[in-house]
Amino acid sequence: MRRVLKRQWGRWIVFGILVWIVAGCGQHESPVIKIGFVGPLSGDQATQGQDMFQGAKLAVDQAAAQGEILPGYRLELVALDDQRSPTQAVAAAKKLVADRNVVAVVGHLNSSCTMPASAIYHQARMLQITPVSSNPQISRQGFDTFYRTCATDDLQGPAAALFAVQELKAKRVFIIDDMTTYGRGLANEFEKKLKGLGGEALGHEGIVQGDKDFTPLLTKIKSRSPDLVYFAGMFPEAALLIRQRRDVGLGGYFMGGDGLFDATLIELATPEAAKGIYLTTIGSDIHRIPTAKHFVEAYEKKYGPIGAYSSYAYEATHLVIRAIKVAGQKDRQAVLTAMKTVKDYPGLFGLQNFDAKGDSLIRDIGLFTVLGGKFVFLKTASWNSSTE
Amino acid sequence: MTVWQLFFQQLANGLTIGAIYALIALGYTMVYGVIQLINFAHGEIFMVGSYLALSVLLLLGISQPVTGLGLLVQLPLCVGVAMIGCGLLGFGIERLAYRPLRQVQRLAALITAIGISFFLQNAVMLIYGATDRRFPAVIPSIRFEIGGVTVTCLQLIIWTSSALLMITLQILVMSTRLGKAMRATAQDPKACQLLGIPVNRIIAITFIIGSSFAAVGGMLFGLYYNTINFHDGYMMGLKAFTAAVLGGIGNIPGAMIGGVVLGVLEGLGAGYLSSQWKNVFALVVLIGILLFRPTGLLGERVADRP
Repeated sequence: MRRVLKRQWGRWIVFGILVWIVAGCGQHESPVIKIGFVGPLSGDQATQGQDMFQGAKLAVDQAAAQGEILPGYRLELVALDDQRSPTQAVAAAKKLVADRNVVAVVGHLNSSCTMPASAIYHQARMLQITPVSSNPQISRQGFDTFYRTCATDDLQGPAAALFAVQELKAKRVFIIDDMTTYGRGLANEFEKKLKGLGGEALGHEGIVQGDKDFTPLLTKIKSRSPDLVYFAGMFPEAALLIRQRRDVGLGGYFMGGDGLFDATLIELATPEAAKGIYLTTIGSDIHRIPTAKHFVEAYEKKYGPIGAYSSYAYEATHLVIRAIKVAGQKDRQAVLTAMKTVKDYPGLFGLQNFDAKGDSLIRDIGLFTVLGGKFVFLKTASWNSSTE
Repeated sequence: MTVWQLFFQQLANGLTIGAIYALIALGYTMVYGVIQLINFAHGEIFMVGSYLALSVLLLLGISQPVTGLGLLVQLPLCVGVAMIGCGLLGFGIERLAYRPLRQVQRLAALITAIGISFFLQNAVMLIYGATDRRFPAVIPSIRFEIGGVTVTCLQLIIWTSSALLMITLQILVMSTRLGKAMRATAQDPKACQLLGIPVNRIIAITFIIGSSFAAVGGMLFGLYYNTINFHDGYMMGLKAFTAAVLGGIGNIPGAMIGGVVLGVLEGLGAGYLSSQWKNVFALVVLIGILLFRPTGLLGERVADRP
């Protein structure tokens, strides 16, 4: 009898230890709610990716400083790197979707990455807000999980064409793009409007991202002597084009899209060669928007000079945080439903609203030039899309 | 611009990049000739060379075009440091990564080469950062106008230095004792060892020479394009390898001709067809040539070594 009791005590002790371990595990399962971030954090667009990340980080830090956004939950930003490669973007998206603590994602930078990733987020019913992917096709896929905080290229391209034809009086234009979703899309929108305005496209050619030698192409362009060369792509290639354009002695204007809007462009192209180029941006000059003043100050105090894409990531992250608060629970579908209630949200660029496709209704296109080694804001041009 | 002026301008553009391809292709072809290894890390050695040259320029505080004394002292110093640095790197890679694997199957060394290539890329990314770095334009931008064709001072420097290095190498291989030992090692390393030729040392010297040539290529590349990035070595290495195959791998004048032909083809392809088909055009020509001459333009048919 005694023996039996002893044995039972042994069992009870083991059982007790097990309960204690399991309870301990329960305590260690951190009540965390995560926001995903994906962008090119390494590679040749790492600076722009970093700018975006810092914008998102600032928003998360600000929200965390105000206390818990959901009672009992800690807010966390998970950053993943897509190296501007669509393949990596899809891998990152799958990773985020698999983590049940992630309720929404801010990303990606390149339209060619955002496009395939958006399908994965849609399937997982996860809210995605892209800060800066401006290709209009992405929102036309009909994904209700997709939102975007910047203007699209069906506005940016025409705005550039309008400026080129009406103000620069440039009618003979040679168009170059970098064959990405973003570059090709923007270049096509530009070309369409250019032809509509009576301009002439002398040629439209693609270049390969990462290539260095554009002298054969520029020499060919020189032989056609256009009034303006329009480039839709990112700044590393743009810097080489601008520099080699001077080396081969190609005159006329040079114009580009928001992919050029990075201080590194001027450094790589040299201030002399970059002087007088024009570029459009997917939003107005952040330094001139009164509602963004507090953000610019907070950002520059923490990270130094503000990047072109920081503000959009900041806005997108705050929108996600608002959606989580409104949802009041850690649930992807609830957060998504909460996002749909955005109306006159007081954001950085003014009162933020979204159309049925998820595109922001703040559609300012900024126009910049380069002078004295710096980007100089010229004016804001706003157009209502004719497709609406 | 007349049709012919345009043609010669495109030819000049193509020759410049071709000369740089040729310098890198030499390293591939020499190493292949001696130990039948495609040294995939060679493109990365080229990239390290351009970063070493950049470091010297930054240390010396040069950011403007140099003249007079600078041309005679600072630039040779820059080239020298890059060449010695890359030579040592090539030696180290051979000693640590390839020599221990020389007796096992050839695939092992090939995969190691790819591993070294990743290692170098990431090391440079961690040291210098992931973004493009500006390479200062230290050569004065003097332009010559020859019959309507513009040629810059830098292009002339690239052509002549590349040609001079090639000729030096050819003389070294064809008419010195060292060169004779190299050719002998290429033919039969076992017999060489029996005859008392220090095979290991010869192979090490081959790596050192090839790597230091890549360093010159790296510096010229930086001077010409003014931006360098840690993943430049990948594409340039691939192109230079193509050039080596095009000219006949293992053949030194072949590497030179292959590089120039590839550069010119790319230039003309981008200039007359379309720049988006630049790489496709060059590789289609490569396939075409290999269909009719499987050993490359100057390659000789040699018996397979057991």
